[in-house]
Amino acid sequence: MVKFHWLHSKAEHGPLYQLWSVFRQQHAAVLGLILFCFFALTALLGPLITPYDPYLQNPDALLVPPSWDEQGQVRFLLGTDDLGRDVLSRLIKGASYTFGIAIITVLGAMILGLLLGVLAGMSKGFRASAFNHMLDLALTIPSLLLAIIIVAILGPGLINTIWAIMLALLPQFVHGIRNAIQQQLEQDYVIAYRLDGANQLQILRNVVLPNIWEQLTILFSMALSTAILDIAALGFLGLGAQSPAAEWGVMVADALDLIYLAPWSIALPGLLIFVAVLSVNLVSDGLRAAIRKRQES
Amino acid sequence: MIWQFLIRRLFLLLFVFFALTCFAFSLGHLFPGDPLTNFSGISQPSDELLPALVQQYQLEQGYLQQYFAFLSRILQGDWGLSLSSQQPIITELTQVFPATLELVAYALLISFVVGVPLGLIAAIKAQHWSGRFISGVAMVGYSVPIFWWALLMIMLFSITLGWLPTSGRISVLFEIPASTGFMLPDIMLSKQPYWQAAMIDALRHLLLPALVLATFPTTVMIRFTRDAMLGVWQQSYIKTARAKGLSRSQVLYRHGLRNAMMPVLRQLGLQFSTLVTLAMITELIFSWPGIGLWLLDSINQRNYPAIQGGLLVISTLVIMVNILMDILHTLLNPLARKQFNG
Amino acid sequence: MQFDHDKGKPVKKKSQRSISTAVQLAAMILLSACQPDMPAEVRSGLVYCLEGSPESLNPQLVTSGTTIDATSRQLFDRLVDIDPEDGRFIPALATHWEIRSDGLSYTFFLRPDVQFHHTDYFEPSRPLNSTDVRFSFERVMNSEHPFHAVSGGEYPYFQTVEWHQRVARITTPTPDQVVFYLRQRDSSFLSNVATDFAVVHSAEYADQLLKQQQPQRIDSHPIGTGPFKFREYRKDVFLRYYRHAEYWGQASSLEQLVFDIEPNNAKRMAKLLTHECDITAYPRIAELELISKRDDVKVQEQTSMNVGFWAFNTQKPPFDQAKVRRALSMAINRDAILQAVYYNHAHTAHSLLPPTSWGFNPAVMSVPYDPTAARELLAEAGYPFGFSMDIWAMPVQRLYNPNATRMAEMIQADLAQIGVRVSIVTLEWNAFRRQLRQGEHDSVLLGWNADNTDPDNFFRPLLSCSGIDSGTNRAHWCDPAFDAILAQALLTDDQSIRRHYYWAAQHYLSEHIPLFPIAHSKRFQALNHQISGVSINPYGGISLADARKEP
Repeated sequence: MVKFHWLHSKAEHGPLYQLWSVFRQQHAAVLGLILFCFFALTALLGPLITPYDPYLQNPDALLVPPSWDEQGQVRFLLGTDDLGRDVLSRLIKGASYTFGIAIITVLGAMILGLLLGVLAGMSKGFRASAFNHMLDLALTIPSLLLAIIIVAILGPGLINTIWAIMLALLPQFVHGIRNAIQQQLEQDYVIAYRLDGANQLQILRNVVLPNIWEQLTILFSMALSTAILDIAALGFLGLGAQSPAAEWGVMVADALDLIYLAPWSIALPGLLIFVAVLSVNLVSDGLRAAIRKRQES
Repeated sequence: MIWQFLIRRLFLLLFVFFALTCFAFSLGHLFPGDPLTNFSGISQPSDELLPALVQQYQLEQGYLQQYFAFLSRILQGDWGLSLSSQQPIITELTQVFPATLELVAYALLISFVVGVPLGLIAAIKAQHWSGRFISGVAMVGYSVPIFWWALLMIMLFSITLGWLPTSGRISVLFEIPASTGFMLPDIMLSKQPYWQAAMIDALRHLLLPALVLATFPTTVMIRFTRDAMLGVWQQSYIKTARAKGLSRSQVLYRHGLRNAMMPVLRQLGLQFSTLVTLAMITELIFSWPGIGLWLLDSINQRNYPAIQGGLLVISTLVIMVNILMDILHTLLNPLARKQFNG
Repeated sequence: MQFDHDKGKPVKKKSQRSISTAVQLAAMILLSACQPDMPAEVRSGLVYCLEGSPESLNPQLVTSGTTIDATSRQLFDRLVDIDPEDGRFIPALATHWEIRSDGLSYTFFLRPDVQFHHTDYFEPSRPLNSTDVRFSFERVMNSEHPFHAVSGGEYPYFQTVEWHQRVARITTPTPDQVVFYLRQRDSSFLSNVATDFAVVHSAEYADQLLKQQQPQRIDSHPIGTGPFKFREYRKDVFLRYYRHAEYWGQASSLEQLVFDIEPNNAKRMAKLLTHECDITAYPRIAELELISKRDDVKVQEQTSMNVGFWAFNTQKPPFDQAKVRRALSMAINRDAILQAVYYNHAHTAHSLLPPTSWGFNPAVMSVPYDPTAARELLAEAGYPFGFSMDIWAMPVQRLYNPNATRMAEMIQADLAQIGVRVSIVTLEWNAFRRQLRQGEHDSVLLGWNADNTDPDNFFRPLLSCSGIDSGTNRAHWCDPAFDAILAQALLTDDQSIRRHYYWAAQHYLSEHIPLFPIAHSKRFQALNHQISGVSINPYGGISLADARKEP
């Protein structure tokens, strides 16, 4: 369905073009988008661009401070940790973990959410109302708590964390998609199309889905910032990815012992989590503002 | 209308309770290991004890009888023993639960006191630099991972400056008997000669974790108040009021704020759930002896009876608070509307 | 955009006033460290940051150093103590003792007027006498004793040294004399009586508990004769003692002694720096240099009898083959571990015994670091392509192993070189030990702190058959030939003959390698500069009896 619109947007004043022209007027959002692309590229190319193996221990270079420090070494740009592993390489590798896995998790949740959301959006009656009640209830449980609950049952580990966060993000996708679909179903053009004799499936494929992609993008970006925070938090709590994995949250937890000796080993991975989430939130905010403005105009 | 609504919500509450107890019950079977141990917390029951336990837990019966046995135990306060300390779970819960509530309550208070006025300013001066600044800070606070933020605060205020303690609710040298479980009232009730010194010490311990925990809800509160206020500002009754010649602050207070506060109040319920989760992390970092720290320890120790009890309490709390807030909001809203219409 | 000015002004004044009150309050909160009106309980209280929760308050029931540190020398006394300076036996509850010429009976003469703790749960009616001593030891050795099965009936230290087979009976001819009759000559007997585990309880309190049908309280609400008495214990939070004013020795100058339980190393150090703790156990060696630069903190150092090792579960294949164990050991770069984990505040271990022990065999060949030879040896043993195994890394910091997880990660990397794939297991400490005892591990990183000067205290707990049941032999190694050497060594008092046996034992171990010794480290303790009088005993727990806090 994305393709469907992509073709249209090639025209000068397609909806995507309009959106972009509003979006790019917001400097913060554009900055966020650049950062976002930077993180996405790093996550994708991570293994290719690390200067060292992120798990290689250098017993002769333990706790080397970052290179701008007097005692720093140029070969370790951001220093090494207490096992002599290159911090820069670990941070790059961490992008694939924290950022990359977050994207995969959210994509998974979105696909599942689309399926369930369509079912919920297109159905009516008692079953739908019961389902909606359950959904509203599930929505009130914060995703991190839900993830902690699921990990508590499944046991700690990265794979379990992915499942847990996917499940925890599901309700908000189902909810958002259902609402978007129901909003669409009330539109005049849908009614007109139905009067033309279109069946449910045709309505869904040809009208509803192509028109909810904006909501999907917003849902995606909101869920992504949650997912990054949750993966990092679970890693920090020792419930998610396990040491020695170079996941950012795990790296902060590992560096706790070094808080006096090597404060940078706490500051850097935390800073990356923060900037990553910030970039996603900036894009998300910018998108929402742009969509609102476009709809108003 | 109201009664119908209330009855439906009551029904929902009952249903939620049923679902949660079902969930907690199924955990006993879902967790690895022997269900008997998972329910009772007795890892190797003696030969004399075993038949009695099997009888009590109805483990030879079907799941339905087991569930009812479980339900009656929960209602009687028999939640099993903790595998690690061999203390009754319910006793431990009553010790740790108030500590969490206390922390969450203060954080919520801070977020309200700080967040709402800042949100108002951000809305009124949306184009001014101060408004933009507040919105920017809110965005930053919204994105910061709490565990990292907490560590930064500790590094600055405790370790570098040495101003504030890093852990616990009060210096261990003060002996405050737990009567309510809430530290500040307990200090008042303790009648120790040094209660004033103890109070200041407790406040010093509270300050940092409460501030850290309040960061996220404060930013949400700012964003939400701002958006609600901006929304209300567009409404026709505001325009009418302004046209009537009321001053800006009068309009702001009489019409804008009150109407904008309604959805903000509703946020309270949702914020509470998020806070409970964030409190778990905050408690871990500040060694705050609350339910979050306790539950995380239990997960680490594979202490299944404790995980079961802890999850039951936390999820019940979160969902109950949400439903109650929803009811409260609906009850207040028509009244409020009537008041404004009249 | 502005509020009305005439209305704004009074509001501003009001807010100014409230701001100034807020500032005052904030200042009070921030600067309250220098409050003059602190009560005595708080001012002269000492906070010791402990690295874990004591599992019991009775040292007889445990082996863990944490519990010993928190209980043994604070709550209780022993018949005999060891002089930390020269390792000789010195009087404690017994003022003197006599050994019969055949070495089969020991008579201890008790100190008069030793008072037990007065608490709100027990009021002693008499001072210490010989029935208390007999009660304390009979509980341990006599399985018919009404208190034997209380709290699980496991006495790991006494089981390891096979106390019940060595001691025939205990008699009390007079209230101030107690006689131990041995089955055979035992040169380590006094050492065992002087350990931190051999504490004396109150028999009168035990009788009261039996009448109240709450015998288990003897271990959770203890009554002893030590310098501090029990007040309150909240697991994972704190353990509170009060001063024992009628202590037979010099009564403590501290009103309160609180053990603040904090397993996290970084937080323990933070608490020392923010003065929430006066003493912190096991500061991380890496930070010693950093904190010793501060004016408000000082560091104590003490050579200690300990060893950190990597034990193989010798009852599980392939670790039942000595060749495999040797190959794995040869793949480990101990120098790197010494640097990264111990920050060079330790020596490489060539034997199980530290070089300071009189039983140390300087001729024993240490396992060399040689990955190539290790790979060949592994192929010889039938594993040319390696195998998968797990390493259990203890979750707590100990003197002998300051960071087992780090060590495990380094060993993981080393073993990858010879094709052995390692997964690291960490669990919470109590669960960890429970599952180790059941032998679920392939290998484990642990260590041992000596309880006394006797070399027997290293070999018997760690590698004898009796150590398996008592949960100290994590290698699950049971070799009758080795046990025979240990038994021989106890039959004489002549140190040169005993040394001969222990040399043989070390030689035997260097061939079989049931465990791979890694390091002997020094014990450190970081204290607030106001604290003095704390002594670290090289053979066991810490004593805070003479600790003082300068105002």
